[in-house]
Amino acid sequence: MNRVLPLVALAIAPLAADAQSKPAAKCDWKPSDAWVKRQAEFFDDSKHDWSDDTLRTALLQAAGLGASLAAPVQFGVQLEGREPKLGAGAAEMTQRLKALAAARGSTWPTRSVVGAAGVHAVYLLSQSDTGLARNVLHRMMEAGPAESPAADVATFEDHLRLVWGRKQIYGTQFKVGPDGKIELSPMEDSAHADLRREDAALPPFRVGICLARP
Amino acid sequence: MRTTISQGVLVLLVAGAARAQAPADASATKRVSFANETVGKEPGSFAPMVGSWVMSQDAGHKVLFIDGRVWKRGQPAGELADKARALYGARNEEFIESIKAFAYYPIAVYKGLDNFENGEISVRFQMIGGTLDRCAGILFDVKPNGDYLTVRYNGTEDNVVLWTFNNGVRKFVNRAPTLTPLELGTWHTLKISVHGTSLKSWLDDKPMHDYTLSAPVSGKIGVWSKTDSMIEFDDFTVTPTAK
Repeated sequence: MNRVLPLVALAIAPLAADAQSKPAAKCDWKPSDAWVKRQAEFFDDSKHDWSDDTLRTALLQAAGLGASLAAPVQFGVQLEGREPKLGAGAAEMTQRLKALAAARGSTWPTRSVVGAAGVHAVYLLSQSDTGLARNVLHRMMEAGPAESPAADVATFEDHLRLVWGRKQIYGTQFKVGPDGKIELSPMEDSAHADLRREDAALPPFRVGICLARP
Repeated sequence: MRTTISQGVLVLLVAGAARAQAPADASATKRVSFANETVGKEPGSFAPMVGSWVMSQDAGHKVLFIDGRVWKRGQPAGELADKARALYGARNEEFIESIKAFAYYPIAVYKGLDNFENGEISVRFQMIGGTLDRCAGILFDVKPNGDYLTVRYNGTEDNVVLWTFNNGVRKFVNRAPTLTPLELGTWHTLKISVHGTSLKSWLDDKPMHDYTLSAPVSGKIGVWSKTDSMIEFDDFTVTPTAK
């Protein structure tokens, strides 16, 4: 089945959503940018089918997505300590995902199963549970680019690397410094950041930095 | 049970081992230089069979780059038929069929050595990126039918693993017990030594594998990667030995 719900906006962090609503000139990006088009293409559920609409609906509800979101843009800007606002039934769905992740051979909710918005919901739901998050990241990487949104995978990996005591590699994680200003969390090999970000359909590094600190 | 070996027996054992593993002959060492390669073009010293392998630069130094950004599932490198014909002549069709089955894994075959059976192969690599994978491997035992072996480091798993590829099927063989996280944008060295069925590997001189293969190796060699990995390779070096 393929019921086209209103497109899901990927406001990963309120910070990014704020930045989107008033993009300063220096934070320039446009809908025709390659990274925006790649994201839009992936998240256009009208062009893809999925097999488990019941699970998809439950995931969207639990992740607090629903019909209120509209723009398919993911900036890859995540502020430490800002958890996504989840919906009713999030705890139960997280447990369900844990059980699915633990069951060998289970049907994991990829885009073919729950659509692009459903996969994004899985990503949001697993953010706060480190054990589940590791499994989800692994499943997303394993599923490949046709089944997992690259920008989510990249942002998720950065988030988890910091949790594991390593440095991020895409430059998507920020924190509030001692002076109250937003600063980039520890990162390795920033010299090649734009190559990685291009691969992950994220905006150029300078745009990400600018959106985080408008 | 504790085994005691007399000094005389021990000397004989050591002497036997020395005969079995002839030391690497430095004069036979081939170290690939990219100095005369053209940045932005395919390398002349390797034949890319799967993936986008191009010459690039790192701090002004020419390196071989597997560019996973343009990787697409099941897509072999350009002019695969011509390259396979140059490597394997009349048997190229068999090779092409098998390589297409493995098009998930970019490979580039070294042109400077027709057959590697014993000796050492090493390569320096730098992980640049890859959303799904960050893999750098040494390719060896490449047969005319497209079967091959690889020892690779995977930066998304932090491990070194030996894989076989036979008749279109990839099989896990052995994982080195040590996990070694490496930073992106830093250079590291992967090395293997093959003597008969003995395979050893090292990552930055740290022992990884000490494994017995099911059969001696005999075939072409090269470099290996996976899906959307972005890796720079340099200093590909092979030292063949008699045994």
